Amino acid sequence: MGQPKNPYQPVKAVIENIIDETPGIKTFVIKPEEAFGFHCGQFAELTVPGVGEGPFAMSSPCHKPEMLEFTIQNVGYMTQRLHKMKKGDVVGVRGPYGNGFPLEKYYGKEVVLLIGGVGFPPARALLYSLLHEKDKFKRLLMCYGARTPQDVVYKYQIEDFRKQIELHMTVDKADESWKETEGVVTVLLDKVNFDLKNAVSVVIGPPIMMKFGTLKLLEKGFKPRDIFLSMERKMYCGIGQCRHCMIDHLFICKDGPVFTYQELKDFPDIWE
Amino acid sequence: MAERYFIGKVQWSTLLGGWMEKYQILAPQKHEGGLFLEPVSMENLSTIVYDAARAVQPLKAFLFPALEEVTGEKAEPEKPWLFLGIKACGLSALPILDQAYGGEFADPHYQKRRQESLIVSSDCSQPWETCFCTLIGGKPYPSEGFDLNLSKVWDGFIVEAGSARGKALLEGHDEVLKEVVKEEAEALDKMRKETVSKIEKQNKEYRLPADLQKLMAGSWESDVWKVHSETCVECGACNHACPTCHCYFLDDVTRKEFVKLRGWDACQYSGYAVTAGGGTPRPHLYERFRNRYFCKIKYLFENYNRLGCTGCGRCIEGCQGRIDMRAALNDLTK
Ligand SMILES: Cc1cc2nc3c(=O)[nH]c(=O)nc-3n(C[C@H](O)[C@H](O)[C@H](O)COP(=O)(O)OP(=O)(O)OC[C@H]3O[C@@H](n4cnc5c(N)ncnc54)[C@H](O)[C@@H]3O)c2cc1C
Ligand code: SF4
Ligand code: SF4
Ligand code: SF4
Repeated sequence: MGQPKNPYQPVKAVIENIIDETPGIKTFVIKPEEAFGFHCGQFAELTVPGVGEGPFAMSSPCHKPEMLEFTIQNVGYMTQRLHKMKKGDVVGVRGPYGNGFPLEKYYGKEVVLLIGGVGFPPARALLYSLLHEKDKFKRLLMCYGARTPQDVVYKYQIEDFRKQIELHMTVDKADESWKETEGVVTVLLDKVNFDLKNAVSVVIGPPIMMKFGTLKLLEKGFKPRDIFLSMERKMYCGIGQCRHCMIDHLFICKDGPVFTYQELKDFPDIWE
Repeated sequence: MAERYFIGKVQWSTLLGGWMEKYQILAPQKHEGGLFLEPVSMENLSTIVYDAARAVQPLKAFLFPALEEVTGEKAEPEKPWLFLGIKACGLSALPILDQAYGGEFADPHYQKRRQESLIVSSDCSQPWETCFCTLIGGKPYPSEGFDLNLSKVWDGFIVEAGSARGKALLEGHDEVLKEVVKEEAEALDKMRKETVSKIEKQNKEYRLPADLQKLMAGSWESDVWKVHSETCVECGACNHACPTCHCYFLDDVTRKEFVKLRGWDACQYSGYAVTAGGGTPRPHLYERFRNRYFCKIKYLFENYNRLGCTGCGRCIEGCQGRIDMRAALNDLTK
């Protein structure tokens, strides 16, 4: 071993491909100079050189670590500049950080994914992992909600996923082209039955959706320890130092981002 | 009994002079507004204030500067630091920083500076009126975490070695290190007791339970947060002055590629936890105010098994709103 690694120093990565998902969301396929293995549900800090940095979940399969995919919404200073970048441009990446999903705990069970909007990137990494060892799970089911049909990400993969899992979709506001449910994502839970004694659920999405999704799952009879939440808060370091992402004494970046509702339920203001 | 000796003041200064070549010595000097840690030279050797009380700057200001580049190679100071006159409340903040910047993703900059520097602490004798270490289980004299500790007794010091590096500093100076005689030991005990009672006396209107965790557990909804934050102007001084606060932001502000600056952040700032959509877990001032108290007493304790408050009083001294942590905590007990 040489010098101890500087944890703040990103590794350079070339943008190999950019996929337009929706008007405000793009998927960036990047190839880091030094590949890093990761676990689904983990995230990385992505740098736009000379601009800034932000935490993003890997949305690609973790069994293919040489190429990383991130699906990123244009919401602010750094993401706006990232959205202007082109194939061949260089970004920085450091990670992987966080715990990821505890797949072993889902073995033999019905796995219910409740996903909203840009909660799909980490959910896609999870889906790839679930499908990679599909016979280990009793049933795979995903309820996905977006605002409008235009806001659905990975449209080009939806049919493929539908062949392999039970997929239910909804949009808050439908148009003529939309053949599925209209309404918030929690309504989809009313359409399906679960073997509650043998089911776990994973909730990822915007805070308000996570809150009502969790409440709905509890109402349906899920136990707090069987509801897995991928949490998000302001974050700089990703490595348990800067303290911006704290929920009570827990670091989302280090102790999470995946928590059971059981671990969080007694803390005030977890959904903000 | 720990290894300790008596050394005369003149002899001590001679030792210090000898260490100057190898170390950048920083020691408290008196100026308007308090004591400030400053580089020591032959010119100001005689005006070092050893006893009194803590300096204005917390140690973190050196180990983890307010703004620095954290990427790439760094130009390091030529000589390691030797901090002089650090007080017990300064030492007790270090285990928190050591853990926060240690572990799997240790900060190489902090660690290098921390490991290379030496700490010669000293007993307090004239606490500031904002000092309240004894109120939260501390003592105004060091018992661990130093390389050497100095206790001013008569015309010299009782010097105690607290580490192998501290012992090494004293090696070869047997001629000036005298055995501590009974009278000196008694004078030390007396001085320590007197300082403790001074601090207890100036804080006698406050009474805090030994179990501060329990106090916090029932106080989330208390009015205290709204009442005591009324005069807060969100300047962040309480965070910046605090020896255990270590929140930071990272930014590529130099606009150079892959150059990141790290700067102190403050949870009292309204923008501290705001995300891209404008959301924040603490939209109200009283919530941010409450967060500091919960962080100091509950969160840091759970993370690092140390109370995040050392009782140094810097947050009281620095507050434009005249907000007093002792009074706020005391009101929680009512
Ligand atoms: C664990 C985790 C995984 C995430 N995964 C994704 C993802 O897969 N796709 C996606 O589009 N977004 C994701 N986000 C949100 C994303 O990090 C923010 O939208 C992004 O940092 C905004 O940066 P900005 O510079 O454009 O916004 P600005 O508001 O200009 O942000 C300035 C700085 O604030 C911080 N910040 C702002 N918003 C957030 C936020 N929501 N979360 C954390 N830090 C923030 C960042 O450090 C950022 O550099 C994730 C957040 C976390 C915590
Ligand atoms: S120092 Fe006082 S005014 Fe400034 S942020 Fe802290 S409590 Fe508020
Ligand atoms: S959260 Fe606030 S009180 Fe805690 S370390 Fe950070 S700035 Fe200090
Ligand atoms: S909270 Fe105030 S008194 Fe306590 S250590 Fe920090 S600055 Fe000192």
